[in-house]
Amino acid sequence: MSSGFTNFAAQNGPDDWRDAAHSTGTSIMAAEFDGGVVIGADSRTTTGAYIANRVADKLTKITDHIYCCRSGSAADTQAIADIVAYHLNFHGMELGEEPLVEVGAAIFKELCYNYRDSLMAGILVAGWDKKKGGQVYSIPIGGMCVRQEVSIGGSGSSYVYGYVDANFKPGMSKEDCVKFVSNTLALAMSRDGSSGGVVRIGIITEKGIERRVILGNELPKFYEG
Amino acid sequence: MMMQTEMNAYYPDYSTAPIQRQINPYADNGGSVVAIAGNDFVVVGADTRLSSGFSIYTRNQNKLFPMSDTTVLGCAGCWCDTLTLTRILKSRMQMYQQEHNKQMSTTACAQMLSTMLYYKRFFPYYISNILVGLDNEGKGCVYSYDPIGHCEKATYRAGGSAGALLQPLLDNQIGQKNLVKPSSEDLSQEKALAILKDVFIAAAERDIYTGDSVLINIITKDGTKVETFELRKD
Amino acid sequence: MSYVLCPEIPAPGFSFDNCKRNATLESKGFAVPKAIKTGTTIVGITYKDGVILGADTRATEDTTVADKNCEKIHYLAPNMYCCGAGTAADTEMTTQMVAAQLELHKLYTNRESRVATANQLLKQYLFSYQGYIGAALILGGVDIEGPHLYMIHPHGSSVDLPYGTMGSGSLAAIAVFELGWKPDMEEEAGVQLVRDAIAAGIFNDLGSGSNVDICVIRKGSVDYKRTYDEANKKGVKQGSYKYPRGTTAVLSTKVLDVEEVSVTPIEAERMDVV
Repeated sequence: MSSGFTNFAAQNGPDDWRDAAHSTGTSIMAAEFDGGVVIGADSRTTTGAYIANRVADKLTKITDHIYCCRSGSAADTQAIADIVAYHLNFHGMELGEEPLVEVGAAIFKELCYNYRDSLMAGILVAGWDKKKGGQVYSIPIGGMCVRQEVSIGGSGSSYVYGYVDANFKPGMSKEDCVKFVSNTLALAMSRDGSSGGVVRIGIITEKGIERRVILGNELPKFYEG
Repeated sequence: MMMQTEMNAYYPDYSTAPIQRQINPYADNGGSVVAIAGNDFVVVGADTRLSSGFSIYTRNQNKLFPMSDTTVLGCAGCWCDTLTLTRILKSRMQMYQQEHNKQMSTTACAQMLSTMLYYKRFFPYYISNILVGLDNEGKGCVYSYDPIGHCEKATYRAGGSAGALLQPLLDNQIGQKNLVKPSSEDLSQEKALAILKDVFIAAAERDIYTGDSVLINIITKDGTKVETFELRKD
Repeated sequence: MSYVLCPEIPAPGFSFDNCKRNATLESKGFAVPKAIKTGTTIVGITYKDGVILGADTRATEDTTVADKNCEKIHYLAPNMYCCGAGTAADTEMTTQMVAAQLELHKLYTNRESRVATANQLLKQYLFSYQGYIGAALILGGVDIEGPHLYMIHPHGSSVDLPYGTMGSGSLAAIAVFELGWKPDMEEEAGVQLVRDAIAAGIFNDLGSGSNVDICVIRKGSVDYKRTYDEANKKGVKQGSYKYPRGTTAVLSTKVLDVEEVSVTPIEAERMDVV
């Protein structure tokens, strides 16, 4: 995730760190389990090589039971999330009940697809509803929308596809799923230079969300060569 | 089927066209040099800030290089070029001394610097040079250069990052330009020194690459005196 | 209808009339005039009773100092101020416009403005211009929810943080905060920390300089300390540069007689009040 600021007086050339606006340095993840979903993200935002925020929260609330994990341009994803939250809450009021996760994902997709030429956003929509329980929808750059039992995103994700494929099991218990998500993110963050900081976790079930933070020194340790 | 060029617009990563990569061999490390000559002296000052972009490398860098007992070279611009140029120049001075058993005169040194700079006409030293000293009659003299060896003899000169800011000030205060009644008095060493310090104070106010302090060399027939003067540090 | 004495009022928003012409000029090698950028250090922290904002006062135009004592802490609302870095005109106009919107919103709703509202107005405005409005802002204030501090980037992203820095001196300043910031600081310690962070920017970043401005915002009161600290003393001139009378050459003199004209003041008409 990048927060992109430019225009700080004279720059030293096109590669100046202040000018590097859009990078996709992030590790995000969402996984279904028995009774809900677990979402997780690292907490680093970068502008080029500079860490603009080391305690960022990339798990953004849309409704009480629908959250999104943001990757890509911070400005673009924040703007999209704000607009979706507005539409979905309005829809919820008209409906008189909690909106469905698939509806939320569809609105995200609609914006990401229609404005695909001017957006840089890779979003995971996750949540719980009465109809289908815990769900994860992946909306990568370009505006596709697909439901997956488990999904990873951001630049850090390419390092951990193997780990996810080897270790994900459908219908895990809550704590097993949290362990699985935190392990995956810790591995991604240790390999990806533009991911790091703490791991933020959200567990969304019928009862709402439960938030957890795993500090940098409490992260699960793996082989560090 | 999509044309190759058409496809590359969508997939720039798969472009097979050659990409020209370039590096910039020069750095601008800033700094200003000012020299003022009188009848029997010459003063030269350079600020001691060495910087790059928006950051300071050091606040205490001497940019004045003694070439002989009566000659000093002041350099501002690309610091690595300054190091190389002054190293070669010093060794050429030593070779001259050993060959002729006497020190090179300021005028000869000025001519040599010009040829050394022009030697690198197509890959120049990116330096603003000001050479000062006493000529064969003991009169103060100032030589200023462009990066590729053009040489101009003067009695006062400002160069480096604040050169364009300071030169008109010197034109007025020392060259007595645009004054109705120019004074006929000779420039005293005290006045030259005071103006030198004052123009650096002024430069530090408006040029971000000039500041910290000024190192001054005062050259007379009795030798070189070194002085420092504090400037603002922001 | 355009009229010489009463020029037409232009439509609101930016004028893009000259874009095509400028692009043509640029392609023919005409240098585009540079805008003044505030190569800047701006900072903000939250402390026990509110927020403290800080800024240096140097504005640069390439490598020359354009303004030695400019104001970078802008007014937004009585309980809210905003530090600006980036293109000087952009930070100035953006904050002025949002200040006006907040004032109208306050009059309309009869409630004290919220910092979150200002944040949303600023980020949505900046996002709509896709980073072309080069304003990097630190928004701070105290409202019904307590103290708030937002960093807002030119592309329109924002974060709510307990402390933060922006501008070219942000690295020097954040180092001071990472070392010295603690939750629930006393005001005196907070002001000192903000001064130190700005001073770090002033001395170590060439884009920042001159003085330290500080603005303390508490619940119900604001302390705008313009020139809180003069981090740099100006050098003392050795000589006097007063020009004696007659220094400037008079090339020719021409004397004209002044014709006396009588002026009759006209009483202003009273406006009709219904």
